[in-house]
Amino acid sequence: MIEEIKKQVRELLTSGTIKGFLGLREIDGHIAPYLFCDAEDMDSMNLGDYKKPGDARYPLNRILIHLLSHYPDEILGVLVRGCDQRGLNGLYSLNQLDPEKVIPVGIPCPPELAEACECSRPYPENRAVDGQAEGYSNQTLARIAGLDIGKRFEYWMNEFARCIKCYGCRDICPMCICRECSLECGDLVGKGDIPPENPIFHLIRAVHMADRCVDCGLCAEACPADIPLRTLYKKVADIVKKEFDFQAGYQPDAKSPLNVLDQ
Amino acid sequence: MDYKTVLTTCTYCGCGCNMYLEVMDGRITGTIPCKTSPINEGKLCIKGWNVHEFVQSPKRLTRPMLRKNGDLTEVTWDEALDFTASRIKSIKEKHGNDSIAFLTSAKVTNEENFLLQKFARAAVGTNNIDHCARL
Amino acid sequence: MAGLAAAFGSGAMTNSVAELEDSDCIFITGSNTTSSHPLVAMRINRAVQKGAKLIVADPRNIQIAEMADIRVHQNLGTDVALLNGIMNVIIRNNQHDLKFVESRTEGFEAFKKVIDHYTPEKASEITGVSPENIIRIAECFGSAKKGSIVYCMGITQHTSGVDNVKSLANLAMLTGNIGRSSTGVNPLRGQNNVQGACDMGGLPNVYPGYQAVNGPAIREKFESAWNAELSEKPGLTIPDMLKGLDTGSVKALYVVGENPMLSDPDTVHVEKALKAAELLVVQDIFMTPTAQLAHVVLPGASFAEKEGTFTNTERRVLRVRRAIDPVGDSRTDWQIIQDLSNRFGFQMDYDSPEDIMKEISDVTPSYGGITYKRLSGDGLQWPCPNLDHPGTQFLHKDKFTRGKGVFHAIEHKPPAEVVDDDFPLWMTTGRVYAHYHTGTMTRVSPSLDEEIKEGYLEIHPEDAKNIGVGLGDMIRIISRRGSITARTLITDRVRPGLVFMPFHFVECPANVLTNPAFDPVVKIPEYKVCAVKLEKVSYN
Repeated sequence: MIEEIKKQVRELLTSGTIKGFLGLREIDGHIAPYLFCDAEDMDSMNLGDYKKPGDARYPLNRILIHLLSHYPDEILGVLVRGCDQRGLNGLYSLNQLDPEKVIPVGIPCPPELAEACECSRPYPENRAVDGQAEGYSNQTLARIAGLDIGKRFEYWMNEFARCIKCYGCRDICPMCICRECSLECGDLVGKGDIPPENPIFHLIRAVHMADRCVDCGLCAEACPADIPLRTLYKKVADIVKKEFDFQAGYQPDAKSPLNVLDQ
Repeated sequence: MDYKTVLTTCTYCGCGCNMYLEVMDGRITGTIPCKTSPINEGKLCIKGWNVHEFVQSPKRLTRPMLRKNGDLTEVTWDEALDFTASRIKSIKEKHGNDSIAFLTSAKVTNEENFLLQKFARAAVGTNNIDHCARL
Repeated sequence: MAGLAAAFGSGAMTNSVAELEDSDCIFITGSNTTSSHPLVAMRINRAVQKGAKLIVADPRNIQIAEMADIRVHQNLGTDVALLNGIMNVIIRNNQHDLKFVESRTEGFEAFKKVIDHYTPEKASEITGVSPENIIRIAECFGSAKKGSIVYCMGITQHTSGVDNVKSLANLAMLTGNIGRSSTGVNPLRGQNNVQGACDMGGLPNVYPGYQAVNGPAIREKFESAWNAELSEKPGLTIPDMLKGLDTGSVKALYVVGENPMLSDPDTVHVEKALKAAELLVVQDIFMTPTAQLAHVVLPGASFAEKEGTFTNTERRVLRVRRAIDPVGDSRTDWQIIQDLSNRFGFQMDYDSPEDIMKEISDVTPSYGGITYKRLSGDGLQWPCPNLDHPGTQFLHKDKFTRGKGVFHAIEHKPPAEVVDDDFPLWMTTGRVYAHYHTGTMTRVSPSLDEEIKEGYLEIHPEDAKNIGVGLGDMIRIISRRGSITARTLITDRVRPGLVFMPFHFVECPANVLTNPAFDPVVKIPEYKVCAVKLEKVSYN
């Protein structure tokens, strides 16, 4: 698969279609986000697989926003999986990225990764290579939803009790784009101690994720307390889906119902 | 286009977390935890996530300074280093090797610690070197 | 580290951080792990999720104690008594590992004689921990198959610091929890490269790799490597340097990246000593309170502006890489030292930190196999004596560095300062999650400053009520050495009779209050215990 991706990116670069390609490369025994600007530079490319498939994924869309705001006239390519493509769709609709300036190069996730993510659509609509894993339903969410409300509350409070307030869930999130963050608002959540005020700290973020989360799981992977944040955000996203028939990034042109309410 | 990520090791606590510093046009713009690190596995604490913030602080020292007429005054490197070298030399001659002491640092690199203790021991001739291992 | 060196022959974390995940019992004492070593806390949390037992002994009710199966709050400075009490029960219950004790250690009989006196009742009287809890801890740790001990400055920053560490070493040997994966005695190092600074000979008595300065063969080796005449007389520790400045035997102090004005106990005295120097040179990245007193200030480069290596708490040598050029006219510290040395008349001509590492591996046996090339990926853990050696995940596998492990028979000694009618409250100090050490770096970081802007005094609601102060009120804190003011944080994290202050904040520098009495062996000051009184600050 990777050889085919390299070939396509090389073509995009040599033809001048894109100025650079935001992907991943292997260097010094690690896998790092990297902006490929030279078609000859493709040997070290990696798709984010270190010891297991997809265990070295990075928030490329977040870096892409950063790059394109700095170089607004350029067109860039970016490596995307299913979740990343949903992220792009969401970011287009939130006016964070201009679709004219982005050329996604899509790859499907292998079944092992799709299953671990319990991802309902582990592939982008447009793929540079063939193959697509089937979607998985969300067993973890169903299991927790099966607990009675007291147990459920206890479960989450125990998870939140380990929080060390690193803000990593926010800082890694490709969909967290607010300039002012409610998590830092002293009137909403107290400062100066860990764990932070719970459950409010985590519920504030959960509410903000309800119409944003594209289920990439980078938050949970960045959490030093191993809090199952992905499951939490799947839950709030599920509520929005049931109430408003909206899922962030699944329908490219759809606007969030919560934005509509805002207006 | 000038964007790169540079793999390094955190300068705060002793965990030794690895992170990428994001550099755009010669300025550090952010920190990304390293997923393939055997220590932090793609996670960081609040200090690690913000480790880039102090680096380009306007409060950084940028010029050598010498105390002149009671005040610290900016000088050239040549002046600062010549002054320091000659003062250490004259104190060594007048009061002996062990009248000079060095505090090395748990913040600087191994190579820099090695060099400072070598300077103390081999150049000045004293074992008066310590650091805040105790703190 | 001297405590571990005496017991095992090597003063470093015996095991690796990731191994903690597979321990079945973890005993944390004197470490506020989630605040000060969050990524170590992650491994401990994972062990707990997998069913490991967690024991936390700390004077304060810290975050990680909330997850503990057994948590106790011992009185300040009573760690030896607590550990002796625990070991008394382990021996009484026959839960000690006799085979390990017989085959791998010495000094057990003398040790046992002392331990026999420390019944849970006696230990309870000293520590304030109930006999039942002492017995529970003993039964829990005594039955562990893979028991790990984790500690930090709460153990070492005492006049009895070395005794405390030796006692933890005793516990590990007594239960056979050392020399295997997921066991061991694990000191968490507070600063990013404190391990490396020690490894590189930034200590008055040893060359790089802990080779003693007073050993003739070693001295000759370094004399020929460096082509210089070397002193066999061990040098001064920080407290003795400050004393020397005071009495006039030390005339010049060269400080690289340290801030004794905030980090050392009894600030008033430190300032007097530094001002007495004929020459004070400070090489740093910020204008610290120490730099403000200097005759020469040399701007060094931050970690982001240089190549090199740090050695983390688990002896892992890791690469540091240059992301940007040194800011302004600042220079990397190795270049400053080299330039100074050449002007001084001692020739140095390294062309890069990698070049310096070649010399380090030549003269330092434990770093013998370390090259920059080999550090890609996971880095290497010392000892790594040669180029084919994969590094060492845990120490003391089949035998201790010194041969046999030594039990030390240790009696409880009270801290140097205890509460009395004039200074009726115990005070202890430590870190908070968003700041680091003297705050030089974290307090200019907007995101961290936003999180905690000023220092404070943690005080129990009962004590606050007695004095008549509310949350956030200003309060004066007075010890025998000085007085400072800070706002209150009223919390049951501390018990009645105990107050806590973080030491990061120059406006309320906790070390004005702390006691410079230090451990007789390693000269660590007793930051963790002093006696204070509180006064309400009235506004007119």
